[in-house]
Amino acid sequence: MDELFTPPSGTWQRVSPKLATIRRILILIPVSVIALAGVLLLLMLSDLRWIGALLIALALVGAVWGWAWAGRNQRSWGYTENDDDLLVTSGVMFKRLVAIPYGRMQFVDVEAGPLARAYGVATVTLHTASAETAADIPGLPAAEATRLRNRLTELGEAHGAGV
Amino acid sequence: MVPVSDVQPEAVGVRTHPLTSVVQGALWAAAASFGLISSIFTGDGWGDMSAVLSLVISLGGGLVVGMLVGYLSWRFTRYVIDGTELRINSGIVTKASRRIPYERIQSVDIAEPLVARVFGLAELRIEMAGGKDSRTSLRFLALADARDLRRVLLARAHGETHEGEAVEEQRTIITVVPPERVMIGTVLSLDFLFAAIGSIVLIVGAIWFGEFVVALGGIIPLGTWLAQIIAKRILQQWDFTLSRGQGGLRIERGLLSRTSQTIPFSRVQGIAIKEPFVWRRFGWLRLEVDIAGYAAHGDDEGVDSSSILLPISDRILADAVIAELIPGSAVDDVPQTAAPKRSRMFAPIGWRYRWVGANERTFVAREGWIERTTSIVPHHKTQSVELRQGPLQRRRRLATIEVHTPQGPVDADGRNLDERDARAIVLAQLDRARAARA
Repeated sequence: MDELFTPPSGTWQRVSPKLATIRRILILIPVSVIALAGVLLLLMLSDLRWIGALLIALALVGAVWGWAWAGRNQRSWGYTENDDDLLVTSGVMFKRLVAIPYGRMQFVDVEAGPLARAYGVATVTLHTASAETAADIPGLPAAEATRLRNRLTELGEAHGAGV
Repeated sequence: MVPVSDVQPEAVGVRTHPLTSVVQGALWAAAASFGLISSIFTGDGWGDMSAVLSLVISLGGGLVVGMLVGYLSWRFTRYVIDGTELRINSGIVTKASRRIPYERIQSVDIAEPLVARVFGLAELRIEMAGGKDSRTSLRFLALADARDLRRVLLARAHGETHEGEAVEEQRTIITVVPPERVMIGTVLSLDFLFAAIGSIVLIVGAIWFGEFVVALGGIIPLGTWLAQIIAKRILQQWDFTLSRGQGGLRIERGLLSRTSQTIPFSRVQGIAIKEPFVWRRFGWLRLEVDIAGYAAHGDDEGVDSSSILLPISDRILADAVIAELIPGSAVDDVPQTAAPKRSRMFAPIGWRYRWVGANERTFVAREGWIERTTSIVPHHKTQSVELRQGPLQRRRRLATIEVHTPQGPVDADGRNLDERDARAIVLAQLDRARAARA
């Protein structure tokens, strides 16, 4: 249905499903804090019972929505290495597709937070001279992230076109 | 980032001009008293102290502290020019060594703030591509030294290494924008009209109703805005001279503080043609240029006044300057893709004025009905290309494309185009950029 965001050649490489797991854990923390506050209100302040109930309901809705969002969003990420450019796509509601010529890359970052490291994934970010480029690929398995970084750096040097 | 061994103080190199500390002190004093004056106006002075006394204290204090700090930092700053890079060692307690490889220099400007100008000094600003820390300043040098150093740096930035060629290069003046034209242009711009009429209405109203204190709250911000517009558009663009040299264009401008900028031909990332509402009736326009590194120092509007290529001009001159910087660009003759009528829910009036197009050399995007903006990006400067679609756009089968350029006045976006057209343009632009780089 979405031929608008298919790559001109090849297919999208998808990112690791662990990205969804990590995001679900990250969503669970504020959700459980809100739920806890709701339970406390419900038990301790009888006049404010409705606020407690509201908070619990809010937390439940948030948890369900966040769970679904994490899965859908993880499946929407994709990247593909063409002959001359790297293409990255993402988003379910707000879709985007960015194409970055290898020769335009200034540098490549790999980063992984503690949770990402525990699950063995990393984020690769590409920087060009433009701040608008904002091409990051989250949820890459660590080995793939390193491979991609090395490959991109190599290609960047081979195609290098200055600023 | 810098290896520790590099931070060892080097006893070699050249110091900046000894009068630096005096100028620095005067600049600090000016800043201190300016801050005080504005706080006196807004009503919170320094307790019981009289305004004159506190002014004298801040002026004197600023001068002394500024000169002391200026002297110390001058004492510990040295710069070295060697075969591959310019190195600036500075810092009193924390030593810093900044290296500027010649091939990464985007542009070299000379600025003469009023105080420095009195002493015949100038500040050298070196721009490199990249984030907010990409500008390096050497302050202050004797004007002649600054000019020499700029010539050397620019020559090296273009890969010339032969020494001893100290002849001032040939320059041909393209145009001098007379100050009265800049003034007329400013008076006929909408924000000036708004600020001026607003101030007058407030003052008349205040006198009429006798409530001067109440109206002061409105007059001060409006007046400040007016003063800023005048300073930025008239004083800074005074005697605007655009000339052509071997490596690029040069701009010299300013009434009180003079600025001299160079724009190497090869560093132009894009040009924006801006046609404000009233100016369009007269066929006037303003040209702004995108150079990597400039916009990081922009003011709240996000556009530094140094990105202005021509403050006011007519079509013929503007076309000539554009042709000089981006050969082979043709603005109105390119095949255009306009926004379809079903995009009017996103821009009820503006959709009529939006189109993108491209020829063999450049990508062109136009938008805006109050101020019409045309962005021109040469294909070989295309940084990346983006295609976007939100849920509302999807319903209307629309999509937005962006051709990314370094931060600056140029914004080559085609918003709310037909989705099939948009995808085709993105793919075509990638091909064109690839062909242009080869």
